[in-house]
Amino acid sequence: MSPSTIIFYLLAAVIIGGALMAVTSLKIFRSAVFLLFSLIGIAGLYFYLDYEFIAAVQVIVYVGGIVVLIIFSIFLTHGSGEDMKRPHWIRAVYSALAAAFGCILTMFYISQYTFTTSGKPAVEPSAGNIGAQMLSTTGHGYILPFEVVSMLLLAAMIGCIVIAIKVKIPPHELLAEKTDNDSMEMTEPILANTQTEI
Amino acid sequence: MNLLLTISFSSVASGIHNWLVSTIPNELLAKSVEMVIAGICLLLFLVPLCFILGYMERKVAGFMQMRYGPNRVGPYGSLQIVADTVKLVMKEGLTPTGSDKFLFNLAPVIMVVTCMLVLAPIAFAKDFQIWDINIGVLYVSAISSLAVIGILMAGWSSYNKYSLLGAMRSGAQIVSYELSVGLSLISIVILTGSLKMSDIVMSQETGWWIIRGHIPVIISFVIFVIASTAEINRAPFDLAEAEQELTAGFHTEYAGMKFAMFLLAEYINLFIVSAIAATLFLGGWMPFHIGHWQEFNHIMDFVPSSLWFLGKTFFIIFIIMQFRWTFPRLRVDQLLTLEWKYLLPISMVNTILVTVMAIMGWHF
Amino acid sequence: MFLTDYIRTVYKGVRSLLTGMKTTGYYFTHARKEIKTEEYPDNRATLTMFDRFKGEVVMPHDENNEHRCTGCQACEIACPNGTIKIITKQELQPDGKKKKAIDTFVYHLELCTMCNLCVVACPSDAIKMAQTFEHSVYDKKQLKKVLNNPGSKIMEGVE
Repeated sequence: MSPSTIIFYLLAAVIIGGALMAVTSLKIFRSAVFLLFSLIGIAGLYFYLDYEFIAAVQVIVYVGGIVVLIIFSIFLTHGSGEDMKRPHWIRAVYSALAAAFGCILTMFYISQYTFTTSGKPAVEPSAGNIGAQMLSTTGHGYILPFEVVSMLLLAAMIGCIVIAIKVKIPPHELLAEKTDNDSMEMTEPILANTQTEI
Repeated sequence: MNLLLTISFSSVASGIHNWLVSTIPNELLAKSVEMVIAGICLLLFLVPLCFILGYMERKVAGFMQMRYGPNRVGPYGSLQIVADTVKLVMKEGLTPTGSDKFLFNLAPVIMVVTCMLVLAPIAFAKDFQIWDINIGVLYVSAISSLAVIGILMAGWSSYNKYSLLGAMRSGAQIVSYELSVGLSLISIVILTGSLKMSDIVMSQETGWWIIRGHIPVIISFVIFVIASTAEINRAPFDLAEAEQELTAGFHTEYAGMKFAMFLLAEYINLFIVSAIAATLFLGGWMPFHIGHWQEFNHIMDFVPSSLWFLGKTFFIIFIIMQFRWTFPRLRVDQLLTLEWKYLLPISMVNTILVTVMAIMGWHF
Repeated sequence: MFLTDYIRTVYKGVRSLLTGMKTTGYYFTHARKEIKTEEYPDNRATLTMFDRFKGEVVMPHDENNEHRCTGCQACEIACPNGTIKIITKQELQPDGKKKKAIDTFVYHLELCTMCNLCVVACPSDAIKMAQTFEHSVYDKKQLKKVLNNPGSKIMEGVE
């Protein structure tokens, strides 16, 4: 076994082990941390393939973004420190079957596909090359998906601002609302305030 | 004298590399030995560095508050930090009951490992860096976003409300300030056209970016220093460990060696942030050059590149320390206002300015 | 309008931050001149306390072993935590009249908070605050002090 293979199997063990622990752990915060290890293992796999750009993006997006978001929502959840209940065994069997099915399907298609090696020299995955390819309008350029994703993100950002924006209530309406006492608690500006005070 | 001038870190490193490759037949073994040597060198560099930074911080704090700072142990109190370290190491490493023991012990390790990883692409001297990865800047910002996980983990597993509150605050803080840090880094990437650390340093051969890029680069330098001070949880942004409100925030429950690891991580982070600012804006190990004035540049080259790098880094460390002992701590809402209403819009506009400047060639 | 306000806020913020940094920068660069620390045990011989420092209550006596205390007990009443106890006696005057005078002026240093109320209350300026501060002793009894010297008497003309 060559050293390169050893490294590959180590990374694979981290990914699969982390994923299994994430699913089987009864503490939700621990699950999130094991998920983190699994995702870092995937980033390691990209580093192993000498594809540093994707590896860094994997770390930024999944580890720095999504897992932190998950952990934040765990923090804000009620009673998240307690152990979760063990799931019913039928559920466990069904989810194992579903996972196995997905796995077998993917492996089947991969084994069907014949990977051809190209004689062309490898393109260096530097930031400049990736950027040029991303914005090129030629046949293999990614300008369309890039712009579509940009539009999606813009829409999401505007949506966030619309939700978070503070609505100024005119004074006369505020007086009118004060008469029915409980409804004041749930008006929008107060909600917006609580969101900023973490 | 001539011999002394030719000795540099890069020649020593390549000498060791050649010697290892020639004596050890197995290439993999030679590489592993080299890696181990690099790691040991890094540790041998970092521990004294943390001593120096700890001493410097106390002295700077003392002088700025009209006191002497430590002046009892050793000459001018220079051994005070050694005494403190010995005390910390001797202390019992407590793990509180009710805490999540696995995560509690994992958190400080994650903090230190993250710092060590970020050190890899930093160029300490000419041709002297551990890993000249082609996405240097992106790698740094990616790995440093891992540090927040360590803080959240420490806060959660301590089973203490102060720790949890501190972790929550620092999470919100780091996630928001990462944006401005990224945008201010991008302005230099736009001017250089590369993410690679060595390319960025070489692009400043005719002058540092902060001089060549004038106003927009100065703005992004200021934003970088402010936002990265917040990123490493130092005062005035030390809400995560605000002593008056949260005892010590996320590391309230830590003692002994584990606490020392958090402290180590804090000082290494300070060094990293300053080193990145020095590399991107002040030219890293590049001596002070003015355009193509050969005579002047040649005189400047006599000062070793490692001294240039360390000098610039310590200058920025000093500025960050001065922040700490000058400004009062921000409130949580002020912290978020500063980021989302001031730093982020300004750095976005500034990015456009830099792009226009780079396209039109308005820099020197 | 909005933009000018915004820019003005940023400008003011940056300027005030720079002012602060200038101040601390001055202290840092002029450390030798500005440091106010008293290195206490080392400079014990030369140390002088500042004027308003209040260390303990003392009763000054002049060279004839005379004090100014009339035994009016105003200080005892003024003291918020019973630090002062005055034991009085009746003294026979040369003209045959009896007059109130102090026998012992007891002062409990361990109860005193150095609030200065007794000194303010005294009508004849008999007591004042001293600037001593090395008060620690091994036995609590040593903190109970008698302020009038043995054999002292009241100064002529103090009523």
